[in-house]
Amino acid sequence: MFNAQTLELLISSFPKILVYGLKVSLPLALTAFVLSTFIAVLVATVQYAEVPVFRQICRFYIWIIRGTPLLVQLMVAFYGLPLFGINANPFLVAIIVFSICEGAYSAETMRAAMEAVPAGQLEAGYCVGMSYIQIMWHIILPQAFRTAFPSLFNALISMVKDTSLASSITVVEMFTRTKQIAGQSYNYFPLYIEVAAIYLIFCTVLTFVQKRGEKRLGNYGIRK
Amino acid sequence: MTLLEISNLKKSFDNNEVLKGIDLKVNKGDVVSILGPSGSGKTTLLRCINFLEKPDGGHLSFEGKEYDLSKISKSDISSIRKDTGFVFQGYNLFANKNVLENVTLGLTSARHVPKKQADEKALEVLKKVGMDGYKDYYPSQLSGGQQQRVAIARALATDPGIIYFDEPTSALDPELTSEVLEVMRELASEGMTMIVVTHEMGFAKEVSSHVVFMADGRVIEEGNSKEFFDDPKEERTREFLRLTEH
Repeated sequence: MFNAQTLELLISSFPKILVYGLKVSLPLALTAFVLSTFIAVLVATVQYAEVPVFRQICRFYIWIIRGTPLLVQLMVAFYGLPLFGINANPFLVAIIVFSICEGAYSAETMRAAMEAVPAGQLEAGYCVGMSYIQIMWHIILPQAFRTAFPSLFNALISMVKDTSLASSITVVEMFTRTKQIAGQSYNYFPLYIEVAAIYLIFCTVLTFVQKRGEKRLGNYGIRK
Repeated sequence: MTLLEISNLKKSFDNNEVLKGIDLKVNKGDVVSILGPSGSGKTTLLRCINFLEKPDGGHLSFEGKEYDLSKISKSDISSIRKDTGFVFQGYNLFANKNVLENVTLGLTSARHVPKKQADEKALEVLKKVGMDGYKDYYPSQLSGGQQQRVAIARALATDPGIIYFDEPTSALDPELTSEVLEVMRELASEGMTMIVVTHEMGFAKEVSSHVVFMADGRVIEEGNSKEFFDDPKEERTREFLRLTEH
């Protein structure tokens, strides 16, 4: 199986696969990660602040999203949006669905991290004359973000691999491109090992970035 | 000159009436110690007058303005808080901010004081509590006594008309307790108006001008410190003083 021909195939296909990773899979995951983090902070804050009505809406959103598979959500959006006259391109649909999906999970991570900040700091903020929003911005959110950071990064790493699901709505990403090349060469196994290795490289780099990020964020003088 | 006066302050948690109509008057420059057994409502009283708990009813007069505590507005609460300081039993320093930022945040964010000016003010009050050498430390790197002194500096930075202390030394060992009490003693001698919920009989006796003794949600007895300790009128007070004597 591992003959010269296979080796040649692996070498020639490597850049072709990689380029789809760099052009499609990674941008999809990273963009969705940034958007989902915004959603998460917003949804978590609404719940933490116990904003009436909006809080129920947030619980409903989390309930729906966490209760249905990402693959199904992609399909629903892809086939549903045109019914409302919206003809977005599949890559855009994927970004939106990934963001909304990841946002629900990360919102729970953020909420837990916000609730982990001792309530006494909120009271102390009030006592020096700060408003709720100022306390959120200067005290609660920075600490919560630090606590949530490893979990949020976990979600990003998970999402990099889940981008392969976007193939189900015709997005040609790294995995789909691999399938195409494999189909042309009838040599499936080595190519799937190759794409697995590329995912692994991406995630290794991200793990490294996470470590650097944690160091950079610091730990407010707490020694580990 | 009367700085703060509360009358008939009431507070219940569910069906448990914790404050059954408290009256208290504090003049400018007074150091008032609130004594009493656990569960008597001392801390709740302090938290109610800074609205960390919502009072059910009563009347407050603060710096010449009158407030109905049952329907006080958010903006009134915020303006009262801007002229009061609060020191907690558990310090409650901002864990993500260093010592200097802990002290300046009330100035820069809540009062829009320029950073340079706020830093100067912070260093001045940190010096007063003997913590100016620790401005870059984080709370987690300090001892309890040091954290509490920073918390006092944070309360001082905004030049409040009065500072409330809620059992400021209860979480500290005797050595650290004395370093915090020393700072409070100095503030008192400079004429700072303070209400101190405390179990430190020595402090109440020597430093405070006025003592309020509470039990079961009521003020049982109050008076100037010397009279209170030398000649308590109520049996409940005498019993308390007997038990805390050593």
